[in-house]
Amino acid sequence: MQASNEPSSPSALEIDALAFRYPGGFELHLPRLHLAKGEEMLLVGRSGCGKSTLLQLIAGLLDPSSGAIRVGGSAIHTLHGAARDRFRGRSIGMVFQTFHLLHGFSARENVLIALLMGDLPKRDADARAESLLRSLGIDRLDAPAEELSVGQQQRVAIARALACRPTLVLADEPTASLDPENALNAVRVLRDACRDEGAALLVVSHDPSLESHFARRERLESLRAPESSSSAAAARAGGAA
Amino acid sequence: MTDLSIVLRSLRVRAFSTSVVIALVAISAGLLLAILSLRTAGERAFERGTGNAHLLVSRDGSPLVSVLNGLFYANPPKAPIDAAKLAEIRGSFPWSMFVPMAVGDSYRSFPVVATVPDFFTKFEPVAGEPWVFAEGRPFERNFEIVLGSAVARETGLRMGAKLVVTHGSGKSREGVDEHAHVHEEYEFTVVGILAPTGAPHDRALFSDLDSSWILHAHDRFEREGLHKTVTAADLTDEDRVVTGVLLRLPSRDGSAPPALVSQYDRMRRDGSITVAIPANEVQRLFDIVASIDVLFIAMAAATLLSSGVAILLSMVNSMHERRRQVAILRVLGASRGRIFWLVLTESTMVGLVGAAIGVALCAIVLFFVTTWMREAHGIVIAPELDARSAILVAMGTTALAALAGLVPSIQAYRTSVARNLRPIG
Repeated sequence: MQASNEPSSPSALEIDALAFRYPGGFELHLPRLHLAKGEEMLLVGRSGCGKSTLLQLIAGLLDPSSGAIRVGGSAIHTLHGAARDRFRGRSIGMVFQTFHLLHGFSARENVLIALLMGDLPKRDADARAESLLRSLGIDRLDAPAEELSVGQQQRVAIARALACRPTLVLADEPTASLDPENALNAVRVLRDACRDEGAALLVVSHDPSLESHFARRERLESLRAPESSSSAAAARAGGAA
Repeated sequence: MTDLSIVLRSLRVRAFSTSVVIALVAISAGLLLAILSLRTAGERAFERGTGNAHLLVSRDGSPLVSVLNGLFYANPPKAPIDAAKLAEIRGSFPWSMFVPMAVGDSYRSFPVVATVPDFFTKFEPVAGEPWVFAEGRPFERNFEIVLGSAVARETGLRMGAKLVVTHGSGKSREGVDEHAHVHEEYEFTVVGILAPTGAPHDRALFSDLDSSWILHAHDRFEREGLHKTVTAADLTDEDRVVTGVLLRLPSRDGSAPPALVSQYDRMRRDGSITVAIPANEVQRLFDIVASIDVLFIAMAAATLLSSGVAILLSMVNSMHERRRQVAILRVLGASRGRIFWLVLTESTMVGLVGAAIGVALCAIVLFFVTTWMREAHGIVIAPELDARSAILVAMGTTALAALAGLVPSIQAYRTSVARNLRPIG
């Protein structure tokens, strides 16, 4: 779990002395978080504690006030504009609670768009999308995504996150929309898929029942700065992301 | 999967609003193009109608009226040019074409033009396009008559058919010319049918001057109480009047010779006649009509502009759903610039497809109008879609659509990913 500083085998994720100041003045602090290549980890915290903000900081969708975030050895926040977007598309996969599949596009197209945005070679795209979706148990590849069952939509979202063979997959409350049985199944599918693709997995959730499935788990509250630890502040902080 | 297929799918997802906006763009682009085409067609029809005559001499009130009556058969000219004046004009210059015409009789409200054989050999109904006989030949003897293409089609008269003409046009401002009477005693024989020219001559009949003068001499004898069959030998200078003369000056390459201006000025000084340069009079007519024309074009352009606003509104209205889509694409690695172009391409596509449908729609409508006008009215010069206007309207529409897409594109560019993928934790 310790990050290696060797350029030949960089960690999947290295966060050091991260601080993020919300527009309201509240701050999110994370002194250190390292994730080795292919490692999986659960980050638990109650609603509004800043879990999603942390994921968006890692994905380069928000800029930290201070500190460093490296994904696969690259400091994402030193990249700007299209270069950062391209890096995110290729190196980071994201899975959301509400899946956020593209409405009107088929399961296959949702994965193909990820490959297109990641600028991967077009000639391999079709085969990659199909094999990934089939390995996750999706057989109605050309059905509009919104017509699939909730469980299948979740799998399409996972396939899309893994399409570009990312170094790191970030999952934001991946089980919150599912019943307990499906939730456990989804976590299993997500972990298996990431393991198969060699991607590190960081799951953030408020659901303590997931803790038994992850060897490595942390609580986000313990990572917050004392001056903004009041529950009201934490709640508002999360909402401002 | 390409950026373009994302754009097309995105339009298909909002199929109803996309179709409505495309239809609106198509109708306005088609309307603008139709107006431009009709305008060009009208101008061309008038330009063609003047034929190859350099000058038209008559005794109408003004040069414009002279051209409208003499070449477009708007009304039969009232005041005739007598034989002496006609001889004077003929002798005043070595004309390369001297074609006197007497218009005043009619057949079933089609004007009958009495003229000379040179009308078919030297006068061209459309400059550079001589007469073509679909059937038969020009008149050679008295009481032979040649039919314009529209007359043949509308009356059903065939070669060898007999007809009698009406003295007077058979129509007047009130609808009926009360002085009109039929010359039953003098029968004309159809000896030729002309091919369509697209000029107003298609709606006229042509015979020799003597025959027309005989009819009028007959009236003169009747008034004097003499009932007899008139022949060419009975004609006097009093009968030998015409209503107009078409003139051409010698010119090497068919263009207006330098002497035209001096001859025009010389003849204009003669107060007893009206002299017109047909091409100039048509241009003058267009200058008068031009202001109304501009109004029509402005109205069509305003319609097009409003369709641009419709594109803008439809895209801004869809922004709620689009923001989520934009945020997802950004997460998947799309840059702000790429998002901007995707949305701009979407609005441009609406303009492009709308313009293409509009041009096609206009072409189809004009085709049917053309066919209908040719079959029902014998007007050959019907609106034709000219490629320059079509390209101009299509490009303008597409550019307008792109312009309308700027606002939603900028909105998409500025979309916050964090806010639109609402975090739960």
